[in-house]
Amino acid sequence: MSESSRVPRLALIAVAVVCIAGIAAVAYLNPFGEPEETIDWNLTLISSSGEEKVLTFDELKAMPSHEGYGGFFTTVGVVNGPYKCKGVLVKDLCDLVGGINASNTIWVSASDGYLMALSYDQVNGDFRTFDPVTFREAPHEELKMILMYEKDGAFLSDYDGRPLRIAIVSTKHDYLTEGHNWVKWVDRIEVRTPTNTSLT
Amino acid sequence: MELDQMIKTKHIITLTLMAAVVLSTAGLFHEPEKAQLKVIYAGSLIIPFEEMEKAFEDEHPNADVLLEGHGSIQAIRRITEIHEEYDVIAVADDSLVPDMMYPDYADWCVRFAQNQMVIAYTNASLYADKINDLNWYEILARPDVKFGFSNPFFDACGYRTLMVVPLAEHYYENRTIFEDLIACNFDPRIPIIEEDGVYTVFVPEVFEPQGDKIAVRGGSVQLLALLEYGGIDYVFAYKSVAQQHGLRYVELPAEIDLRAREYGDSYGKVTVNLGFQRFSSVGIERQGKPIFYGITVPKNAPNPELGVEFVNFVLSEEGQNVLRSVNQPSIPPEADELDKIPEELRAVVYKEIET
Repeated sequence: MSESSRVPRLALIAVAVVCIAGIAAVAYLNPFGEPEETIDWNLTLISSSGEEKVLTFDELKAMPSHEGYGGFFTTVGVVNGPYKCKGVLVKDLCDLVGGINASNTIWVSASDGYLMALSYDQVNGDFRTFDPVTFREAPHEELKMILMYEKDGAFLSDYDGRPLRIAIVSTKHDYLTEGHNWVKWVDRIEVRTPTNTSLT
Repeated sequence: MELDQMIKTKHIITLTLMAAVVLSTAGLFHEPEKAQLKVIYAGSLIIPFEEMEKAFEDEHPNADVLLEGHGSIQAIRRITEIHEEYDVIAVADDSLVPDMMYPDYADWCVRFAQNQMVIAYTNASLYADKINDLNWYEILARPDVKFGFSNPFFDACGYRTLMVVPLAEHYYENRTIFEDLIACNFDPRIPIIEEDGVYTVFVPEVFEPQGDKIAVRGGSVQLLALLEYGGIDYVFAYKSVAQQHGLRYVELPAEIDLRAREYGDSYGKVTVNLGFQRFSSVGIERQGKPIFYGITVPKNAPNPELGVEFVNFVLSEEGQNVLRSVNQPSIPPEADELDKIPEELRAVVYKEIET
């Protein structure tokens, strides 16, 4: 290794040491108290008759919360979680715009253009659960669908769908659900009455 | 300074010294950094691309291939809508690249592999020794037989299943196959319209069969697990996936299994109409066509030279041998825009896609 390449590395190490020490000091002494994070995000709720209600992130967070464990796996079998998830029951959000009944579905939309349709039964927790190792279907406790804003005690990262993501949770952390339901970056939930496409 | 504050300060100093020791040690034993190559690919290429990674890294010891699998549409969206950066993308439907990535994120695509639909099963499947390419639809319709396929909203293999079945009606000259296998197991029934030999299947937004005759799951991961422990007897799958998992399978006629270029026109007579638009950038109609895999280097690739090198490797005789070794059928590479492919690929890609 040449002398010239060693010097920048040592400088880099020194900078890293100082940074780690700084972070450790701030975390340990916590001189400023817990920072209040502001999240600027609106969630639009739409009733089956088209009426809209917009909730800010703070208004949503002020609603009664639900906590549980949930994890999912991707199309190719990559396991995520389980995590401790905290959020608001999707059913409670539907109730803010007239509720949901068995003839309704909901369309959950995200800021990246993703949309997922979910049935009334799913809003009430009717999902299959899977063993995290074998992916065989596994029995489960009562499941709840929430709009999650905290994962493992912290607000969601952007990668995790900050600030709002669908999660399917229960009191156990022994099983997973399918990842396509865990919509990230949720900004709209619409209660719908699907048209019957049967041509019979 | 108060006593507890002094103790805290001591702890910080100790922590700092420990961090310094760890980082210095890491610096002393530092190895030259490898160039990272980020490859995003379709789920049905998991096994072939894991092998490709090993073979490429053996030849390029300074490269570190990082693989990430998704459904094909999701893979493209990670680049075009979520704005993540990858050096190579390979998808299970080559037409998605021009449709979703041109002109901003790519301007060429090379076909390099193909696939076909089969009906996979195990020795434990009911009627395993009776099923064949002439009676499969009768066996699957028997009341005691259970079968599965992927959800057409989440997996191309799912909407391709809904293409195979109407094509079978036409091929076997039996107008009840779709009704007996698919439609009657949903409430309300899955509608299909046939006009002048052209079929349109309408998929409702909640695609959940009634009873346990049919299992619809998000992807092959769940379905293969279900098949292997006997939850279902048969599953519609890609041939390569069935072979890679050591499953038995019924090979379907080329007229219906979406493998053959020469039947492209007849495959095109089936359209699957999805009940909601899952991606704002992709419409709700899927039209039947032969299954070809496409590969490209995105325009925003962080390491495009290495990306091209990887594509070159995949398309080379050695890469094609890797694909064949894991039962992924390959084809002589052909490009949609021959004049736009990188110079380095011209030795292996010299044919334009026939339209």
